[in-house]
Amino acid sequence: MSASATANRDPAADPLVQVRGLTAVLSGKTVFDALDLDIARGSVTAIMGPSGTGKTTLLKHITGQMHGAAGQVLVDGQDVVRLPREGLYRLRKRIGYLFQNSALLTDYDVFENVAFPLRAHARLPEDLIRNVVLTKLQAVGLRGAARLLPSELSGGMARRVALARAIVFDPMLILYDEPFVGLDPIALNQVLKLIRTLNQELGITSVLVAHEFEAVREAADHVHLIAGGKRVASGAPEDLVRADSPWTAQFFGGALEGPVPFQYPAPPLARDFGFVGATA
Amino acid sequence: MKQFVARVFDPLLDGLADVGRTGWFFIGLLLALPRGLTYPRELLRQIWFVGAKSLIIIMISGLFVGMVLSLQLYYTLSIFGGTSALGTVIALSLYRELGPVVTALLFAGRAGTAITAEVGLMRATDQLSAMEMMAVDPLAFVASPRFLAGLIAMPLLVAVFNMMGLFGGHLVGVTWLGIDNGTFWSNMTGNVSVWKDVISGEWKALAFGALVSLIAVYQGYSAPPTSEGVANATTRTVVSSSIAILALDFVLTAFLM
Repeated sequence: MSASATANRDPAADPLVQVRGLTAVLSGKTVFDALDLDIARGSVTAIMGPSGTGKTTLLKHITGQMHGAAGQVLVDGQDVVRLPREGLYRLRKRIGYLFQNSALLTDYDVFENVAFPLRAHARLPEDLIRNVVLTKLQAVGLRGAARLLPSELSGGMARRVALARAIVFDPMLILYDEPFVGLDPIALNQVLKLIRTLNQELGITSVLVAHEFEAVREAADHVHLIAGGKRVASGAPEDLVRADSPWTAQFFGGALEGPVPFQYPAPPLARDFGFVGATA
Repeated sequence: MKQFVARVFDPLLDGLADVGRTGWFFIGLLLALPRGLTYPRELLRQIWFVGAKSLIIIMISGLFVGMVLSLQLYYTLSIFGGTSALGTVIALSLYRELGPVVTALLFAGRAGTAITAEVGLMRATDQLSAMEMMAVDPLAFVASPRFLAGLIAMPLLVAVFNMMGLFGGHLVGVTWLGIDNGTFWSNMTGNVSVWKDVISGEWKALAFGALVSLIAVYQGYSAPPTSEGVANATTRTVVSSSIAILALDFVLTAFLM
């Protein structure tokens, strides 16, 4: 269970992120169907759900990288859909985003990757930039790797560098897209510890998209389970496991049968095999 | 019949649509240029990348083009008994035509493809999205410096190409074929105008630099985020740039005559 002071807080009480009636269609497929959810300020909230259900897409809507066909996405009271470009950029300076593949700038070394937002937005003396960058790298345990190139880093190290870059401006919100994928147990625990530390010591609101329930149970105060374009369950991780719902039963139990079909939607099998007039 | 028409006209319409999209991209790029100038370190890095790193291929190609020109023109001029004009004809051919056009074609093959592959891979590995998320406009940070670097580097590369071409032409014409050194240089300096010939070639270089850089950056920027997508975009940069350079050369030559 998370040791966070915000455990079990009702997300609707003081939401930093509010998604209201979000409807999104991608390539003819309805990804979100009037989706509603809140992210409580100061919490660690996990977005979980079956593969292809739109978890990363939801993060992109929260950050204004994508816009839905209908609905509202409010971040700290600002509607990201209606924000002009300058306003959106001002908001993004207060948001850290950890990409699934870390998305480090491959031509720059670790130091310059972390310094990138500082150089782009703040006219700071070189000494100060150096101190800030080394402090952030120390926080993720990679001060000694400052002069390595991204190609010389392991997956776990690259993710920690991306995390250092994401927190360089001390954001109010960090979005983690699959932060635990492909990590060995040691690296996974390091990232897990960092997520909790940033939340508890700096009060940063965190949203993480993940499939690893054990890690989510350790890190998150609250879980939203989304499937079929809607939020189908919400609550503390322990409560969701015990919840009496076919969605939670199938997802957390890993059952093959349930509301999430094994087969991707397809025409009847008989038609694909050329048995004209036959039924599936 | 309908399928035949579609097969013939669809690529044509796709090509026209691509020209239109490149135009829109160019407008966005122009609007982002002032912000691009706020990243001087990146601009210098790109000038080094597209300019300095293209020097070797430009110098070697210039040398051989000058040498071949000298051989071919000596043969042609000897038919009319006009070999004393060799220096003039080599210089005019290089300054007015071959220098800008061949340099631009080489630039598209060396620097243009590198820009497309680099930007395409940045797209595929989410680096451009990461910049967006850090409130840095990729048009200003990625596209503008590469475009400006092409604009700055091309006239300089053309000057180097021309210099090496003259050196190669002199090497073959004077050292090998026995043209008098004084005749070679005096005829050239007497008949080549700085403004009409040298500068008009540099105008072409500027235009070709802008054209190739725009195509290269756009193709990388719009490449599908797959291996095949980046490979196809790189190919399109060479093909589109080559055709566009030759077509624009005709237009510019007609205007600058």
